[in-house]
Amino acid sequence: MSKVEELVDLAKFYFLNKNFEEAIQKYVEALKLTPKDARIYYNLGIVYEAMNIVDKAKENFRLALELDETLIAAKKHLHRLVGG
Amino acid sequence: MRHIVVIGLGRFGSAIAEALSSKQCEVLVIDSDEKKIERLEPIVTQALVLDATDEEALREAGIRDFDVAIVAVGADIEASILITMLLKEFGIKEVVTKAMDNLHAKILRKVGCDRVVFPERDMGQRLAESLISPKIFDYIELSSTHSLIEIDAPESLEGRTLKQAELRAKYGVSVIAIKRKTPTIREDGETEFKETTIIGPSADEEIQRGDRLCLLGKDEGLVGIQKL
Repeated sequence: MSKVEELVDLAKFYFLNKNFEEAIQKYVEALKLTPKDARIYYNLGIVYEAMNIVDKAKENFRLALELDETLIAAKKHLHRLVGG
Repeated sequence: MRHIVVIGLGRFGSAIAEALSSKQCEVLVIDSDEKKIERLEPIVTQALVLDATDEEALREAGIRDFDVAIVAVGADIEASILITMLLKEFGIKEVVTKAMDNLHAKILRKVGCDRVVFPERDMGQRLAESLISPKIFDYIELSSTHSLIEIDAPESLEGRTLKQAELRAKYGVSVIAIKRKTPTIREDGETEFKETTIIGPSADEEIQRGDRLCLLGKDEGLVGIQKL
């Protein structure tokens, strides 16, 4: 397992346990190694949305979509947060 | 099921008609503009092009059979007053009319309107409240002293049960619902959360991270909780 995968798995584990700060930290570490991974930005957006930190959630969903516009889940979440 | 007629298909009337239809209500829409009717026709139960100030035309449309009427022809004040009056004469139990200003509202009440609404003003007030207090997602003023708000659960309450939080004893505020996001993993391996709303939570319900609390109580108590 690569270092990135390891970090992402850990982040998901922390997220599932509602340890949101740790999850964010692991995703950010993973992004340092692979800064153009849309899925990590999406997952990071999900953590922020779960914490009700809407600005950060939107920012990460937007970054995910800039890198991969086919990420339907990111589109759905962004649309919901932006409203309209 | 309630039978509802929406008269006037501007932005407000169309939005209401669409929302009611999506909630499986029987909706009749009326407007004198054929284009507006054509747009709504596929969505609602029935759509009629007619002049709603014409008493005979309303009678022929079977208006008497409706439980609720929404009059959304705000800009044409004369028409809105006349239509409201006709609908009450037809015996419709609940007539809700959009008003443009206070004088318009006063006349509407005099002709029997059951509920006067100011959509722009009401929405403006709610938006202002949510901008003044960014932690509030929604706000409804119930009276001059009591409100219903939805806020992020304060961090200091996380891990406590509602009983331990003592919101009623200390602030005179009741938690009427908790909106909760439960983290999960989707089939493709990415994260997601499932949203649930716990209505009327028990005293043993524990407040969790990321919860939103729907609170009902006195304004001073609600302000106090936001400072926690």
